[in-house]
Amino acid sequence: MEERLYDLIFIVRPATPEEEIKKVLSGIEHSCAEKGGKIEKTEHWGTRKLAYRVAKHREGIYVYQQIRTNHGELIAELERRLRVQDVVIKYLTVRLDEDLKRQKKLVQKREQRTARRPRRAPAAPPAAPEQTAAAS
Amino acid sequence: MTEEQKQAQAPSSAPRREGGSGGHGGPRREGGPGGGGPGGPGGRPRGKRQYFRKKKVCKFCVEKMDFIDYKRADILSQFVQERGKILPRRLTGVCSRHQRWLGVAIKRARNIALLPFAGSAAGTQAPRAVAATVEAPKA
Repeated sequence: MEERLYDLIFIVRPATPEEEIKKVLSGIEHSCAEKGGKIEKTEHWGTRKLAYRVAKHREGIYVYQQIRTNHGELIAELERRLRVQDVVIKYLTVRLDEDLKRQKKLVQKREQRTARRPRRAPAAPPAAPEQTAAAS
Repeated sequence: MTEEQKQAQAPSSAPRREGGSGGHGGPRREGGPGGGGPGGPGGRPRGKRQYFRKKKVCKFCVEKMDFIDYKRADILSQFVQERGKILPRRLTGVCSRHQRWLGVAIKRARNIALLPFAGSAAGTQAPRAVAATVEAPKA
């Protein structure tokens, strides 16, 4: 199985001390090490306003991570862990690699198209509306 | 009714009101976001108004975005109403492909409380400007 890339975002209660967040993070790290995953990125977005009330809170501390792994069970495990944590009020995992793959393909396609354009007369598919960039 | 008759008799105040409320069916597009507005009103003859609308282009195509990130709430929020409804692309001018991705991204963002769900009454501040639609009578 090829490697997959996941986004993992979780929100902790707004008044959580730093150590508690560290504890959650180290827990994630621990299970990553156990199941064979790699944390690519960790970002602390800090306190943000929530778009709606979650567990009676209007704001929360966002933590964002990217995880690369071969094993899907790791994500299930992480979700289970986050669910039982008291300080974590919301979490989301998203599989990212398929979207990124699609993006790469599209970029490639466009490069091919722009490379080909000089040879041909005005290309039939007007997919890249550059001249309209001035509008609004 | 009496009010309108009075205004019709007084020619000085009549034209201004006409321009405001329009003849039939006022403009129902107040909710338009960022680039959605039909631009300068100018001296538009009534009835033909929609033909003067500026041609809208897909913002994502212009910027050559091949991937709409659900984490960029600042971008996504341009394409939802303040209550959280996803705006139709006939208002925003987004191309069909990008609208599809946009929908997915918005739904993901909703899941992690970056954007509101459409139904939730929580935490909306700016009240909608509805005064304009109210005053149009059925004549």
